Amino acid sequence: MSTPDLTATAPPRTIDISGTARVPFTRLVAVEWRKMLDTRGGFWLMAITGLLLAGTIALVLLVVALADDARVSANDLSQILSIPLSVLLPVFPILVVTSEWSQRTGLVTFSLEPHRLRVLLAKLSAVVLLALATMVLAVVLGAITNPVGAAIGGYDVRWNLEAGTLVMTVISQLLYFLMAFGLAMLMLSTPAAIAVFYVVAIMLPFMVYSILYAVFDWAQSLIPWIDLSFAFTPFLDGFDGVDGLDVARLLVAVAIWIVAPMVLGARRVLTSEPK
Amino acid sequence: MITVEGLTRTYGAFTAVDDVSFVCQPGRVTGFLGPNGAGKTTAMRMMVGLTAPTRGRATIGGHRYADIPNPGRHVGVLLDASAQHAGRTGREVLTIGAKTMGLPASRVDEMLALVSLSDAESKRRLRNYSLGMRQRLGIAHALLGDPEVLILDEPANGLDPAGIRWMRGLLRGYAERGGTVLLSSHLLHEVEQIADELILIGRGKIVAQGDRETLLADAGPASSLVTALDNDALAAALRAQGIQVSASGTGLRVAASPETVGRTALDARVVLTDLRTGQAGLEDLFLELTADTQREGHPAAATQQGASA
Repeated sequence: MSTPDLTATAPPRTIDISGTARVPFTRLVAVEWRKMLDTRGGFWLMAITGLLLAGTIALVLLVVALADDARVSANDLSQILSIPLSVLLPVFPILVVTSEWSQRTGLVTFSLEPHRLRVLLAKLSAVVLLALATMVLAVVLGAITNPVGAAIGGYDVRWNLEAGTLVMTVISQLLYFLMAFGLAMLMLSTPAAIAVFYVVAIMLPFMVYSILYAVFDWAQSLIPWIDLSFAFTPFLDGFDGVDGLDVARLLVAVAIWIVAPMVLGARRVLTSEPK
Repeated sequence: MITVEGLTRTYGAFTAVDDVSFVCQPGRVTGFLGPNGAGKTTAMRMMVGLTAPTRGRATIGGHRYADIPNPGRHVGVLLDASAQHAGRTGREVLTIGAKTMGLPASRVDEMLALVSLSDAESKRRLRNYSLGMRQRLGIAHALLGDPEVLILDEPANGLDPAGIRWMRGLLRGYAERGGTVLLSSHLLHEVEQIADELILIGRGKIVAQGDRETLLADAGPASSLVTALDNDALAAALRAQGIQVSASGTGLRVAASPETVGRTALDARVVLTDLRTGQAGLEDLFLELTADTQREGHPAAATQQGASA
């Protein structure tokens, strides 16, 4: 054992790393995808989301069968089926981040890939892929439900879903995934991130903002600036009648709930010490 | 090879690791020994880039950890065997590691066999693992990528005596094949039989380092415990050479090496029934060197009456 000479330059290279490639990004994404689904929590979230989708479809078909004048179109279905997808799936972008802290797996994850930004980007990619995959599943199920509903209800099937509307529905879902991901990085705590996300994304717009919006003038001018769902509403039916004010409101809401948590959260993950 | 140079980490006014420097050589097992909270874990975390050093640097094989591509293939790390998702099976934990490093699935089975986790055990979730099983899994995870360097924090913690013996054999074989091993412990007896080199750390500072013999040579003046059929005759022969002798139990404590005492007994034709070193053991050295850093008061008796190490 020798005491190293601190005045010396770099220590001798005794390990040859020239033959080792860095971990490819696609492999990191594949691993993060696997980690999302290989726990009981992940399994049940997917299973319950599947059940919610099936239950929603069954309910739609039941209404069509029982009510004489009830009809659904492809456009209706895309609106209806995006609801079960938005209930539980945002827990995935939260867990994929916070579980590294709550389960302390970050010790292993960040020693196998010390470049934490790559890990975060891999997680984000896995989460976006999950959002897209579930949307594709919902579209396929909707495309099956639509003619079945028409047959049961005895009306002509209507394929009136515009590509633009579908794209905006997908983007809306992605925005909420990004918001959940950002909040998770910012808080690094599963219960805190889930609570804040559901209050901000679901409880406030449905239970508080909708009432204020209907009653007060000031609420009508304020809420679209600070709430994603209100800010996004003008964009849902394509871009007809969207003006500069709508764009500005969406940008502000996105800055508050997506850009700010993402930037601050990423900084926190990059500098924190996984214990 | 691990090279640590002037490594320091402060948290506000608290200095967790204070100007620590050492080298872990290939082919050697280096034991990192210190009481709880001495800074062992923080130092190891800095070596693998989980904690940023305030000053100084640590390199592995001459590289900063962050500059090593696919580091699992070069450095096996076990910082906390319990830091794994409680809902994953042992096999899944290894599979995730193998997939990240780009290893074939067969490597998972090889490692499970190496650490003696059965097929049934590997399919249990980690929340149902004992600490000893988690340690075995953690060691399997560290060895997955067939690394040149191992950094293990308290790997013997939770292992039963047979497990500790198994780990000793495993790490010895690994070092003999040219690997570099750094393992920490707060229990001397866990590392003293495994480690070729010891680094003693207390309150963030290195208090002693070297191999066993070097450390013991510095552990104090020569001393022997001897019992003879005729203690008085031996004592007289020793005193005649100007050597201090005092009664100790059924024998004598002599301020000379066992070799000197043996020669004196031979010359005086006194039959010895027991002769051993009375020098402080590693444990006494360890307690003494870290005495001012211990939470509990250091029992004075331990330094005076040397337990035979």
